[in-house]
Amino acid sequence: MLTPTGTGITESSEPEDFTAFTEGWMRRFADAATATEAELTALDQQVGDGDFGANLVAGLQATVRRLDLPVGPPAPARSLEAAASAFLDEVGGTSGPLFGLLLQEIATAVAAARDGAPATALAAGTGNGLAAIQRVGEAAVGDKTLVDALAPASSRLDAQARAVPGDAGAALACAASAAWGGVRRTARLTARRGRASYLGDRAAGVPDPGAVGIALLFSAATSSVTSLRSHLN
Amino acid sequence: MGLYFANVADELVGDALAGFARAHAGDVRWDERDGYVRALKPAPTRRVGLVSGGGSGHEPLHLGYVGTGMLDAACPGRVFASPHNRQIFAASRAVAGEDGVLHVVKNYTGDKINFGIAAERLAREGIPCGRVLVDDDVATESAEIATGRRGTGATVLVEKILGAAADTGMGLSDLVALGTDVVGRCRSLAVASAAHTSPATGQAAFDLPAGAIEYGVGIHGERARRTLQERSLRDLAEDMVAALADSLRLDARAQVVLLVNGLGGITRLELYAVLNEVTRLLDKRGASTVRTLVGDFVTALDMRGFSLTLMAADDATLAYYDAPADTPAWCGRAG
Repeated sequence: MLTPTGTGITESSEPEDFTAFTEGWMRRFADAATATEAELTALDQQVGDGDFGANLVAGLQATVRRLDLPVGPPAPARSLEAAASAFLDEVGGTSGPLFGLLLQEIATAVAAARDGAPATALAAGTGNGLAAIQRVGEAAVGDKTLVDALAPASSRLDAQARAVPGDAGAALACAASAAWGGVRRTARLTARRGRASYLGDRAAGVPDPGAVGIALLFSAATSSVTSLRSHLN
Repeated sequence: MGLYFANVADELVGDALAGFARAHAGDVRWDERDGYVRALKPAPTRRVGLVSGGGSGHEPLHLGYVGTGMLDAACPGRVFASPHNRQIFAASRAVAGEDGVLHVVKNYTGDKINFGIAAERLAREGIPCGRVLVDDDVATESAEIATGRRGTGATVLVEKILGAAADTGMGLSDLVALGTDVVGRCRSLAVASAAHTSPATGQAAFDLPAGAIEYGVGIHGERARRTLQERSLRDLAEDMVAALADSLRLDARAQVVLLVNGLGGITRLELYAVLNEVTRLLDKRGASTVRTLVGDFVTALDMRGFSLTLMAADDATLAYYDAPADTPAWCGRAG
């Protein structure tokens, strides 16, 4: 008699097909960025030079072009690597390439994980991405940058992945929720790094657009898990 | 004030790079696809590649210092805009030696981030990468300025000295230590009697009344904290030398390398007169001016102004300074 192994009989939201999950994640991120581009631009016109929405969408359009013409055999990290190289090589400004660094670290951790738990790999990659972004940008929590969303997302993702390693969906949902909490906090902060720092208190009340981008990234991940589950079950 | 001579404003940098490569065809190559200028005849003894870069509009920096004895590669951005990390990554991979690559970075947020992203990518490929951050501009020396002093004229001296040291086969960590020490020995200050012409508008980037002097201007036209009225060259030089000497804590009997740098729109006649005043003031302080450089080294498009850089030298840095170099714009000589 065959014994069902792992998922399927539990309430876990582990993605059964990790390769399909990462591709769906990047496509959903592209959809979300395109849908919110006008709002991101409006935010960045208040606290930056107004190009963040366009740069994020440009990076994701370049990502989708790569996904449509994939290079190499299907693998969980392939779509993440495509997004990383699109953001690092083709996007101007500074926030876009910083997203590339984050995606590259997540891709590296996912590629290294092989048969390990996806939640653990995603947590490790996100933590390494946060560290790389902080080394480069020298921003700390409270400086009103994307770090204000990424740091709590990383820490909640890590805690949840340690508690329930077999449930990537739950870990990503925690990360998304923590990232949006960070976005709301940036609205109350005065910038000390990035272009918004030139404005002082004039940027008060406006959330940081880079932080919004991070929250969109983790929301897209959550919806990609949910969507796969509905198709596969 | 007049318009720039360019076919298309956006293409001025690219056209200039093509012309630069044509003028120095045997010595450098412009890689248009990857966006960097590379030296064709580096010393075979080099174990570390030297890479710098930054916004265009400061010529001859950095292009003019690519060549034997100085930089292995330079990455130009658009006018006053940082180069893309992709250019820095490609240049660094191309010129990395057995002990990696050293980035010489002027202290501006955009440059730091783009060189930093390239450094992360190099680390991922196992290429050792170090950084020397140049921050010499005393106009931005203040406890209130969290980003610290800007990087300006000292960059040329740092690139020269590190180039000579790299030619001896010095390793990456020693080059980082040497470069950091040299940066600490250098201070600069710039003044202008007229702004540069904005390439976007064809107008002065900022307005100065006749006779006014912007004291502590930046090389991108950043306004100074003070605008002086009707100051003689003698009085101006005295203020500037005092500010530099104080920041360096220059003691009597110090050996000083003096760079009198034109910002792009000033005559050589004036620069030599500046040099005359400054050396006189240094003599009066008991310092000995052991080397002088005069000319346009780090410009701000066509800004009508000059900067002074003082380096408190020791015998080791002077030996590297005096070592031969052959690049399109280096004109330093021993003596």
